[in-house]
Amino acid sequence: MLILTRKLGEQITIGDDITITLLEVKGTQVKLGIAAPKDISIHRKEIYERIREENLRSSQVDPLDLSEAASIVTSVIKKEGESED
Amino acid sequence: MKINTSRFGTLTLKEEKIIHMPAGMLGFPDRKRFVILKHREDSPFFWYQSVDDPDLAFVITSPFLFHPEYDVDLTEALKGMSWDPVKKDVILLYVVVTIPRGCPHKMTGNFIGPIIVNLEKSQAVQTVIANSPYTHNYPLMQAKEKNQTSHHPG
Repeated sequence: MLILTRKLGEQITIGDDITITLLEVKGTQVKLGIAAPKDISIHRKEIYERIREENLRSSQVDPLDLSEAASIVTSVIKKEGESED
Repeated sequence: MKINTSRFGTLTLKEEKIIHMPAGMLGFPDRKRFVILKHREDSPFFWYQSVDDPDLAFVITSPFLFHPEYDVDLTEALKGMSWDPVKKDVILLYVVVTIPRGCPHKMTGNFIGPIIVNLEKSQAVQTVIANSPYTHNYPLMQAKEKNQTSHHPG
Protein backbone atom coordinates (compact mmCIF):
# COMPACT_ATOMS: atom_id res chain seq x y z
CA MET A 1 0.00 0.00 0.00
CA LEU A 2 1.24 3.47 -0.90
CA ILE A 3 1.20 5.75 2.10
CA LEU A 4 1.26 9.53 1.65
CA THR A 5 1.24 12.29 4.25
CA ARG A 6 -0.88 15.33 3.39
CA LYS A 7 -1.67 18.65 5.02
CA LEU A 8 -5.08 20.30 5.20
CA GLY A 9 -6.16 21.45 1.74
CA GLU A 10 -3.55 19.37 -0.06
CA GLN A 11 -4.50 16.91 -2.74
CA ILE A 12 -3.72 13.51 -4.17
CA THR A 13 -4.34 12.58 -7.79
CA ILE A 14 -5.08 9.04 -8.97
CA GLY A 15 -4.69 8.55 -12.70
CA ASP A 16 -5.70 11.50 -14.86
CA ASP A 17 -9.24 11.93 -13.61
CA ILE A 18 -9.39 11.44 -9.86
CA THR A 19 -8.48 14.05 -7.26
CA ILE A 20 -8.80 13.65 -3.50
CA THR A 21 -8.68 16.73 -1.30
CA LEU A 22 -8.14 16.71 2.46
CA LEU A 23 -10.85 19.12 3.60
CA GLU A 24 -11.00 18.85 7.35
CA VAL A 25 -9.40 17.04 10.29
CA LYS A 26 -11.34 16.90 13.53
CA GLY A 27 -10.06 14.51 16.19
CA THR A 28 -10.27 11.01 14.69
CA GLN A 29 -12.44 12.18 11.80
CA VAL A 30 -11.09 13.21 8.43
CA LYS A 31 -13.23 14.84 5.74
CA LEU A 32 -12.22 14.08 2.16
CA GLY A 33 -13.42 15.63 -1.07
CA ILE A 34 -13.26 13.29 -4.05
CA ALA A 35 -13.59 14.39 -7.66
CA ALA A 36 -13.89 11.57 -10.17
CA PRO A 37 -15.65 10.73 -13.44
CA LYS A 38 -19.26 9.70 -12.91
CA ASP A 39 -18.77 6.12 -14.09
CA ILE A 40 -16.51 5.54 -11.09
CA SER A 41 -18.57 4.76 -8.03
CA ILE A 42 -17.29 5.97 -4.69
CA HIS A 43 -18.74 4.72 -1.45
CA ARG A 44 -18.10 4.31 2.24
CA LYS A 45 -16.56 0.86 2.35
CA GLU A 46 -18.75 -0.73 5.04
CA ILE A 47 -22.00 0.41 3.39
CA TYR A 48 -20.72 -0.62 -0.03
CA GLU A 49 -19.97 -4.12 1.29
CA ARG A 50 -23.46 -4.48 2.75
CA ILE A 51 -25.17 -3.47 -0.47
CA ARG A 52 -22.88 -5.68 -2.54
CA GLU A 53 -23.76 -8.63 -0.31
CA GLU A 54 -27.51 -7.96 -0.57
CA ASN A 55 -27.16 -7.74 -4.36
CA LEU A 56 -25.36 -11.07 -4.43
CA ARG A 57 -28.02 -12.69 -2.23
CA SER A 58 -30.80 -11.24 -4.34
CA SER A 59 -29.23 -12.76 -7.45
CA GLN A 60 -29.43 -16.18 -5.77
CA VAL A 61 -33.09 -16.07 -4.74
CA ASP A 62 -34.85 -19.37 -5.41
CA PRO A 63 -37.81 -18.80 -7.79
CA LEU A 64 -39.94 -21.11 -5.62
CA ASP A 65 -39.27 -18.96 -2.56
CA LEU A 66 -40.09 -15.88 -4.60
CA SER A 67 -43.45 -17.33 -5.66
CA GLU A 68 -44.20 -18.17 -2.06
CA ALA A 69 -43.13 -14.68 -0.92
CA ALA A 70 -45.36 -13.09 -3.56
CA SER A 71 -48.33 -15.12 -2.32
CA ILE A 72 -47.66 -14.10 1.28
CA VAL A 73 -47.51 -10.40 0.37
CA THR A 74 -50.56 -10.61 -1.90
CA SER A 75 -52.66 -12.25 0.81
CA VAL A 76 -51.73 -9.51 3.31
CA ILE A 77 -52.56 -6.80 0.77
CA LYS A 78 -55.89 -8.49 0.07
CA LYS A 79 -56.68 -8.58 3.79
CA GLU A 80 -55.83 -4.88 4.01
CA GLY A 81 -58.20 -4.14 1.15
CA GLU A 82 -61.00 -6.16 2.73
CA SER A 83 -60.72 -4.52 6.12
CA GLU A 84 -60.75 -1.09 4.50
CA ASP A 85 -64.03 -1.77 2.65
CA MET B 1 -33.98 -7.78 -29.86
CA LYS B 2 -33.48 -11.21 -28.33
CA ILE B 3 -31.88 -11.80 -24.96
CA ASN B 4 -30.93 -15.11 -23.43
CA THR B 5 -31.81 -15.82 -19.81
CA SER B 6 -31.31 -18.96 -17.77
CA ARG B 7 -34.56 -18.45 -15.85
CA PHE B 8 -36.94 -17.37 -18.59
CA GLY B 9 -35.42 -18.77 -21.78
CA THR B 10 -34.99 -16.48 -24.79
CA LEU B 11 -36.94 -13.24 -24.55
CA THR B 12 -37.81 -10.92 -27.40
CA LEU B 13 -37.87 -7.32 -26.22
CA LYS B 14 -38.07 -3.89 -27.73
CA GLU B 15 -34.75 -2.08 -27.68
CA GLU B 16 -36.25 0.77 -25.64
CA LYS B 17 -37.06 -1.61 -22.79
CA ILE B 18 -33.36 -1.91 -22.04
CA ILE B 19 -32.11 0.06 -19.07
CA HIS B 20 -28.52 1.21 -19.12
CA MET B 21 -26.53 1.35 -15.91
CA PRO B 22 -23.22 3.14 -16.54
CA ALA B 23 -21.84 1.92 -13.19
CA GLY B 24 -23.70 -1.39 -13.08
CA MET B 25 -25.02 -2.86 -9.82
CA LEU B 26 -22.72 -2.72 -6.80
CA GLY B 27 -20.45 -5.76 -6.97
CA PHE B 28 -21.38 -6.35 -10.62
CA PRO B 29 -19.75 -3.40 -12.43
CA ASP B 30 -19.41 -5.19 -15.78
CA ARG B 31 -23.12 -5.83 -16.28
CA LYS B 32 -24.50 -2.57 -17.58
CA ARG B 33 -27.77 -3.45 -19.36
CA PHE B 34 -30.91 -4.73 -17.69
CA VAL B 35 -34.60 -5.30 -18.30
CA ILE B 36 -37.39 -5.25 -15.73
CA LEU B 37 -39.63 -8.30 -15.97
CA LYS B 38 -42.83 -8.72 -14.03
CA HIS B 39 -42.49 -11.72 -11.73
CA ARG B 40 -46.07 -12.78 -12.46
CA GLU B 41 -49.54 -11.32 -12.39
CA ASP B 42 -50.53 -10.04 -8.93
CA SER B 43 -46.95 -10.30 -7.65
CA PRO B 44 -45.35 -7.24 -6.08
CA PHE B 45 -41.95 -8.37 -7.35
CA PHE B 46 -39.97 -7.92 -10.52
CA TRP B 47 -36.89 -9.60 -11.91
CA TYR B 48 -34.09 -7.22 -12.82
CA GLN B 49 -32.55 -9.35 -15.53
CA SER B 50 -29.11 -8.69 -16.98
CA VAL B 51 -29.08 -8.47 -20.76
CA ASP B 52 -25.41 -9.45 -20.92
CA ASP B 53 -25.41 -12.34 -18.44
CA PRO B 54 -28.18 -14.94 -18.80
CA ASP B 55 -27.61 -16.18 -15.24
CA LEU B 56 -27.79 -12.81 -13.53
CA ALA B 57 -31.15 -11.54 -12.28
CA PHE B 58 -31.98 -9.64 -9.11
CA VAL B 59 -35.35 -9.50 -7.37
CA ILE B 60 -36.72 -5.99 -6.93
CA THR B 61 -39.88 -4.36 -5.68
CA SER B 62 -41.36 -0.95 -4.99
CA PRO B 63 -40.27 0.33 -1.57
CA PHE B 64 -43.51 2.30 -1.19
CA LEU B 65 -45.65 -0.81 -1.08
CA PHE B 66 -43.92 -1.78 2.15
CA HIS B 67 -42.93 1.62 3.46
CA PRO B 68 -45.31 4.31 2.18
CA GLU B 69 -43.27 7.06 3.88
CA TYR B 70 -39.98 5.91 2.38
CA ASP B 71 -38.20 9.10 1.50
CA VAL B 72 -34.65 9.41 0.23
CA ASP B 73 -32.69 12.36 -1.01
CA LEU B 74 -31.87 11.64 -4.64
CA THR B 75 -30.22 14.96 -5.40
CA GLU B 76 -26.69 13.60 -5.46
CA ALA B 77 -27.59 10.52 -7.48
CA LEU B 78 -29.47 12.60 -10.05
CA LYS B 79 -26.57 15.00 -10.30
CA GLY B 80 -24.13 12.12 -10.66
CA MET B 81 -26.13 10.84 -13.62
CA SER B 82 -26.49 14.36 -15.11
CA TRP B 83 -30.25 13.91 -15.05
CA ASP B 84 -31.09 17.33 -13.74
CA PRO B 85 -33.51 18.91 -14.16
CA VAL B 86 -35.63 15.82 -13.97
CA LYS B 87 -39.38 15.38 -13.95
CA LYS B 88 -40.66 13.36 -11.01
CA ASP B 89 -42.89 11.10 -13.06
CA VAL B 90 -40.03 9.73 -15.17
CA ILE B 91 -38.22 8.45 -12.08
CA LEU B 92 -38.94 4.98 -10.69
CA LEU B 93 -37.54 3.67 -7.44
CA TYR B 94 -36.93 0.02 -6.63
CA VAL B 95 -35.29 -1.81 -3.75
CA VAL B 96 -33.36 -5.06 -4.06
CA VAL B 97 -35.07 -7.99 -2.35
CA THR B 98 -33.41 -10.92 -0.61
CA ILE B 99 -35.17 -14.13 0.43
CA PRO B 100 -33.30 -16.62 2.61
CA ARG B 101 -33.59 -20.09 1.09
CA GLY B 102 -36.74 -21.85 2.26
CA CYS B 103 -37.86 -18.90 4.40
CA PRO B 104 -39.98 -16.68 2.14
CA HIS B 105 -41.60 -14.93 5.10
CA LYS B 106 -38.13 -13.66 6.04
CA MET B 107 -37.82 -11.61 2.84
CA THR B 108 -36.00 -8.31 3.24
CA GLY B 109 -35.53 -5.22 1.14
CA ASN B 110 -32.34 -3.20 0.88
CA PHE B 111 -33.56 0.30 1.66
CA ILE B 112 -30.11 1.89 1.62
CA GLY B 113 -29.23 0.79 -1.91
CA PRO B 114 -32.24 1.67 -4.09
CA ILE B 115 -32.17 1.47 -7.87
CA ILE B 116 -33.25 4.73 -9.46
CA VAL B 117 -34.61 4.34 -12.98
CA ASN B 118 -35.02 7.24 -15.39
CA LEU B 119 -37.64 6.10 -17.89
CA GLU B 120 -37.06 9.02 -20.23
CA LYS B 121 -33.36 8.24 -20.60
CA SER B 122 -33.65 4.46 -20.14
CA GLN B 123 -30.89 4.71 -17.58
CA ALA B 124 -30.54 3.58 -14.00
CA VAL B 125 -28.19 3.82 -11.07
CA GLN B 126 -27.95 1.95 -7.80
CA THR B 127 -27.35 4.62 -5.25
CA VAL B 128 -26.06 4.43 -1.70
CA ILE B 129 -28.12 6.19 0.95
CA ALA B 130 -25.79 7.19 3.76
CA ASN B 131 -26.83 8.63 7.11
CA SER B 132 -30.43 7.49 6.84
CA PRO B 133 -32.80 5.75 9.25
CA TYR B 134 -33.13 2.86 6.78
CA THR B 135 -31.36 -0.50 6.73
CA HIS B 136 -29.99 -2.93 4.15
CA ASN B 137 -32.23 -5.73 5.42
CA TYR B 138 -35.62 -4.22 6.16
CA PRO B 139 -38.08 -7.06 6.89
CA LEU B 140 -40.83 -6.64 4.30
CA MET B 141 -43.49 -8.77 5.98
CA GLN B 142 -42.96 -7.22 9.35
CA ALA B 143 -43.37 -3.84 7.66
CA LYS B 144 -46.63 -4.87 6.01
CA GLU B 145 -48.04 -6.32 9.20
CA LYS B 146 -46.99 -3.29 11.20
CA ASN B 147 -48.70 -1.00 8.70
CA GLN B 148 -51.78 -3.15 8.89
CA THR B 149 -52.08 -2.94 12.67
CA SER B 150 -51.32 0.78 12.74
CA HIS B 151 -54.07 1.41 10.17
CA HIS B 152 -56.57 -0.69 12.10
CA PRO B 153 -55.88 -0.49 15.81
CA GLY B 154 -57.63 -3.12 17.88
